[in-house]
Amino acid sequence: MSLSIPLFIPLASGLLAMLLPRGAAWLARQLVLGGTFATLFYVVAMLVDFDSSAKGLQWVTRENWIETLGIHYSLGVDGLNLFLIAVTALLFTVCALWSALREWDRPRLYYFNLGLAETAVLGAFMAQDLALFVVFFDLMLVPFYFLIGVWGRGERVQATTKFVIYTLVGSLLMLAGAIALGVLSTPDGGQISFELADLQRRTLGHGTQVWIFLLFAAAFLVKAPAFPFHGWMPDTYRATPTPVLVLLSGILSKVGAYGFLRIVLPILPGASSTLQELMLVIAVVSILYGSVMAFSQDDARLVVGYSSIAQLGFITLGIFALDPKGAQGAVIQMVNHALVVAGLFFVIAVIAGRSRESESLERLGGLALRAPVLAALFLIVALATLAMPGSPNFVGEILILFGAFDEKIVYGLVASAGVALAAVYAIRLYQRTMHNRVGPDVEPGDLSWRLDMPAIAPVVLVLLALALYPQFVLHRTEATTTTKIAAAAAKSHQTPGPDRTASSAGAPDQSQK
Amino acid sequence: MILPLADVPAPHIDYKGLSPLIALVGGTVLVLMAALLRGRFVQRSLLPLLTLGTLGAAMGLSIWVWSPGDHRPIVESALEVDALALSLSLVFYVAGIATVLLAHRSAALSDAGAGEYYTLLLSSVTGMVLLAEAANLITLFVGIELLSIPLYVLCASQVRRRASLEAGLKYLVIGSVGSATLLYGLALIYGAAGTTSFAGIDRALGDTVSLSDPLLLTGIALACAGLAFKASVAPFHQWTPDVYQGAPTPVTAFMAVATKAAAFAIFLRLFDSALLSAQFQWAPALAALATITIVVGNVGAIAQDSLKRMLAWSGVAQAGYILAGVVVGTQKGLEATVFYLLVYLLMNVAAFAVVIARERVSEWGDGMRALEGLGRAAPWLAWPMTIAMLALAGFPATAGFIGKFYLIDAAVDGDYAWLGVVIVAGSMISLVYYLRVVAVMWMGPMEVRLPSLPGRPRTAKPVGGWSPEADAWAQPEVTLVAVACAAATMFFGIWPNPLFDLVADVGTSLASLVG
Amino acid sequence: MNVVWFLCLSAVLFCIGGAGVLIRRNPLVVLLCLELMLNAGNLALVAFSRMHGNGDGQIFALVVMVVAACEVVVGLGVIVGMYRNRIAEDVDAMSELRG
Repeated sequence: MSLSIPLFIPLASGLLAMLLPRGAAWLARQLVLGGTFATLFYVVAMLVDFDSSAKGLQWVTRENWIETLGIHYSLGVDGLNLFLIAVTALLFTVCALWSALREWDRPRLYYFNLGLAETAVLGAFMAQDLALFVVFFDLMLVPFYFLIGVWGRGERVQATTKFVIYTLVGSLLMLAGAIALGVLSTPDGGQISFELADLQRRTLGHGTQVWIFLLFAAAFLVKAPAFPFHGWMPDTYRATPTPVLVLLSGILSKVGAYGFLRIVLPILPGASSTLQELMLVIAVVSILYGSVMAFSQDDARLVVGYSSIAQLGFITLGIFALDPKGAQGAVIQMVNHALVVAGLFFVIAVIAGRSRESESLERLGGLALRAPVLAALFLIVALATLAMPGSPNFVGEILILFGAFDEKIVYGLVASAGVALAAVYAIRLYQRTMHNRVGPDVEPGDLSWRLDMPAIAPVVLVLLALALYPQFVLHRTEATTTTKIAAAAAKSHQTPGPDRTASSAGAPDQSQK
Repeated sequence: MILPLADVPAPHIDYKGLSPLIALVGGTVLVLMAALLRGRFVQRSLLPLLTLGTLGAAMGLSIWVWSPGDHRPIVESALEVDALALSLSLVFYVAGIATVLLAHRSAALSDAGAGEYYTLLLSSVTGMVLLAEAANLITLFVGIELLSIPLYVLCASQVRRRASLEAGLKYLVIGSVGSATLLYGLALIYGAAGTTSFAGIDRALGDTVSLSDPLLLTGIALACAGLAFKASVAPFHQWTPDVYQGAPTPVTAFMAVATKAAAFAIFLRLFDSALLSAQFQWAPALAALATITIVVGNVGAIAQDSLKRMLAWSGVAQAGYILAGVVVGTQKGLEATVFYLLVYLLMNVAAFAVVIARERVSEWGDGMRALEGLGRAAPWLAWPMTIAMLALAGFPATAGFIGKFYLIDAAVDGDYAWLGVVIVAGSMISLVYYLRVVAVMWMGPMEVRLPSLPGRPRTAKPVGGWSPEADAWAQPEVTLVAVACAAATMFFGIWPNPLFDLVADVGTSLASLVG
Repeated sequence: MNVVWFLCLSAVLFCIGGAGVLIRRNPLVVLLCLELMLNAGNLALVAFSRMHGNGDGQIFALVVMVVAACEVVVGLGVIVGMYRNRIAEDVDAMSELRG
């Protein structure tokens, strides 16, 4: 199985759609929808075929891309990114489906951007070369810039510019960090390489590690968004069209967290353990801040938006607990959160469609009796959001909290408060829209089986499936997540101190050197 | 008296190596003579074809004389041909060809006379090639003047437009101050080293001359300031926006890419070859200049509404990025500089081609609003502009990203990691104005604004009718240039290895650089 | 005579020229001052040539003279063009291009 095929099918279909003559613009949606479905089938085949006992990467593709700069076209899948790739393929298919059932202005451009976005996100998840990761990470912004700016609403241009500048500031810092990492870790007379496996083998001084860590953290935390870096979130969430918002919130936010696990922890173990406390503080503050803000918002989208900040705080907490359970919980939670957020935003869009495009909690309410199916689906998703026992989120959060309790009990205790707050805002969101008196804007009508169900149903079904059988994920992710944090965890258990050379203990494949 | 003179050996001249220059000079004369013939066919078709033919021939000859790793004098101790000279010559030829195409329907052509216009363009290109091959302070100066003086005239060539004349005079005055400063600096360097040949200066610096000789240091400082004028490096950049805006736009495009490349050719020759031993003296100063340039250029560009002024300021900022490659004084820095110059040519020509296409038909001239709704009205212009802007901003999948990557790589590698961070910080600021252009094209008001109906005063006459799309197709050569350059920008962003092979050859051309 | 005196004179000339370009408003005088700057360079070149005893500097100076002549011709041409277009012959009044 070659990873290049699922990676480039969406882009290829998007390009074809773009090049269609003006008269055949209707074909664009079929093309890109077909492309996303093809990728989804391929990825499902990968899920089945995945060898969960293998430690290393599977289906590795490795070519020299730019030899002079030591950049490789290197792709691979392991337990860490397998499910993120799967959920990406799923959400893109669902969003393409949702879009295809509606009319869009300039369809060729829209579907081209959708295809480009999928390729960029999949590329960032699959890349096993730091420079390639940076390329895809930055490339993601281009389609989203257009998708929000052209098809958004309200202050769309301002919002998209803010979004791109915020995130690209982070990305550019990461670019500088990535180049510095590649250059400075090259031994005298050695060939420069950005391949993650090579970088992991090479060592860096502690001071260098710290400033490079900070550059990477800036990029990933802005993308997440985490607490002090979330300034772009409210405007962007308000302006973004629904399917794009699902992708933005469900998938783009995970790339940052994934970057910590894939790149930062294995390559900069010393800095990760030194700055562990800082990251934990950011995580916990994000949880509390996000939860409190989610509770006080009137705009339903922003309730979900701030709850995402809290959820990503949980994920960051799990990662920087530097504990195998925490890391695994973080990976599971990334997948769950993507599904939950997709469900929530679709439901909100349906509600808005029944109530004169209003998303204000003040003006909604009492929809449950008029729309029983919608209410049922919403309830499932809302319960998953608050991590009800039996939901997949429960598994994720409990693992994260176990990890935090094992390593840093104080942060674990504070974070537990976040779980309680999640119940408050999730139930509030459900009640305000579904129960209470009938809001002034609400018009009767359930969700449409033809327009809405095809997109929402798969998300909810997968969520239910994961609730029933979480071992499917746990089993496949366990081996890899443990090795990814091993080096940093080993560091943090030593007495922390500014040792000049990162020791070669820890990272599993360093023993060969 | 005469007999001893007869014994003086003539310098060795390698006519094969000289052939591109001979072709250029011959072509220049030919075009000037042909321009004497009147007639629409000659003026409208034959002259541009002759000019293109000359540039094409020179380009072909340059590639023909190219042998990898070669480094030999073509006129003893005056001109030398190596991969650096040849690759930068390609930039000049391509820029020249693009300018001929872009100027085809320009008002400056009829104002100044097509023959004169093309002749001046060709002699400017000749000057640039001479400059890139210079091995001696004298040839360096001749080259820089041969490239500048025709450009002064070209800037003023739209003689019926005040702004054009004003730009010409401003450029002349400031350019001449730059030249005089450079000359004085060169004189002092000559005074310190006792020779005008680069190789001789390099030898003298390592040998007899103290590196802290005040004469030498003053000379370097003055030469640096003079070159900074030419390359529009801050704080000697103030002329750039005015001159770029006033000059006829095809000339602006030519100045933006070719003059910049030529100025950096001398920076490389002078600093990374002749004065390399004094690197620790000049590198911190140049690094400071680069930092100022990046900040000033990017901040200056934000507030601009005229696209030409915006591109001028962005050009200042880009000069700062490129300077970082000169500062480090390593082989990698040289390669990164040349790489970025090649890429910069493509990105900028694409952008200017779109500006030209719109300027001729839009009542907003070169204002930002001339691009409004272009994404829907004329995608064949909007896409190249979008790609050019994203490339200049350094987005991946464009050659601009690889170029910036290489420059930062070279900076970090040469122990100037902080300069790499400055480049990154500059790119962040630059997003504001590059993305604004993209937003205006794609996210402006959804309905296309047609130009106002006849009756209201219009600054430009319609070329192809009233619809923007017809206007775009009425000047196919401009659209062609834009699309070709944008396509090349994308291609080299995804598959940059041909360019890397080219610059790898360049990297070995300055022998004194360490690997 | 010591070469230093020649250098001092040329430096003074260069500074006078530079100051003139910055201060004077009449474009003709500005051109004149540019000439002064170039000739300051020439003087330095010839003096150094004498000091080192080789001809490089003198050849350089000859080339510079030609260049200076070209610059003046072009400058005068542009100025005449401006007169024809009735543009003020005062550089401060050139405000078509803000800058």
